[in-house]
Amino acid sequence: MSSPFAPLTESLIRHRGVLGAMVVGLDDGLIVESTLQVGVNGNAFAALTASLYRKARRSAGAAGFGATGFLELTAEQGRVCTAGGQELVVVVVCEQRVNVGLLRVELLRAAEHLP
Amino acid sequence: MANDDIRALSEALAADPASLVFVPLGEALRRRGDLEVALRVALRGVERHPANPDAHDLIARIAVDAGDLERAVAEWEAVLRLTNGHAGAHKGLGFICFQLGRLEDAEAHLGAALAANPEDGSLAAALQTARAALAETADRPARPTLGLPIEMQRPDADAGALFDDLLEGQRSAAMLLDADGLVLAGRYVSADGRDLAAIIGAQLSGVSDEAGRAMRHLGLGNWRQIVFETEAASVAMAPSQEGVLLVAAARPIPLGFVRRVLERALERAAEWMGDAR
Repeated sequence: MSSPFAPLTESLIRHRGVLGAMVVGLDDGLIVESTLQVGVNGNAFAALTASLYRKARRSAGAAGFGATGFLELTAEQGRVCTAGGQELVVVVVCEQRVNVGLLRVELLRAAEHLP
Repeated sequence: MANDDIRALSEALAADPASLVFVPLGEALRRRGDLEVALRVALRGVERHPANPDAHDLIARIAVDAGDLERAVAEWEAVLRLTNGHAGAHKGLGFICFQLGRLEDAEAHLGAALAANPEDGSLAAALQTARAALAETADRPARPTLGLPIEMQRPDADAGALFDDLLEGQRSAAMLLDADGLVLAGRYVSADGRDLAAIIGAQLSGVSDEAGRAMRHLGLGNWRQIVFETEAASVAMAPSQEGVLLVAAARPIPLGFVRRVLERALERAAEWMGDAR
């Protein structure tokens, strides 16, 4: 039986350059739903990205910038993009060549439906 | 909210123009980024319901997204006249006053918002930051601002002005922090001339520490850049020398502009650090 988020992750992974898409619990970093290519360590990405997003949210709030929406981490060998609600976040693992602008719009739209 | 939902709300409003459905419709349009349409819907709604605080609250949130902080302040103040102690209005005014450097007002509004929502950790942190800024920057001289357009300045021997000419007169700020989160160069100046770089830098530098920790486990190599969008600002940061370079721009300045400034500021910082050594 698939979760209500399966269509979302299956849609996101169809983007060129996307290696994995997950819905993750913001507080515990555990995967709620995922669609991953072979070899992608979903558990590690879920836990660490949720932690980074929490940190950004707390820091931005403390700096007086208000609530955090989209976040993108660019590294030497790939990117991680995320956006979320109060309880869940969507996490996308991708290659450098991904269209970030398009992905950002999709993630922000998806985040509107997350609790 | 899906397009179908917006269509349904539009049809409901067309069927009954006097209804309050303009509030969720305007909010849905705002979230989708259709700010002009959202504002038209909200203004039409407030004409019919001038004493409805949700209508003024909606206009304020649209105004923030559009970068019209003066209008947002006016509308949230209207909300407070209609509903004393409205938590959302106090919170919005708190963040805007902080951005504009009106720290005393920010402290008062954030305190009122926190009193209404004592469980909100971000409000408690923001209030703490406002109080720290008040305590630390009471006697600083007047300077340009992130909350208002700044005049372009050329970099000179003043490390605080190192990135000013890269910001192209936009409501933005750039600062170079060392490994401990202390400001090496650049500034974040509020409307009343207080330099909040030390406080903002200290709050945000923790994000890069978290990224560094994550990189050790993800197998993606070193991190090169983090960008994130908040209600009030777009923020971009990148490792620079032993510290981090941070650029923040008031919404709705596009994320692409912030990234471009970050890349150019990285080059400037590398040159400056080379000269400094």
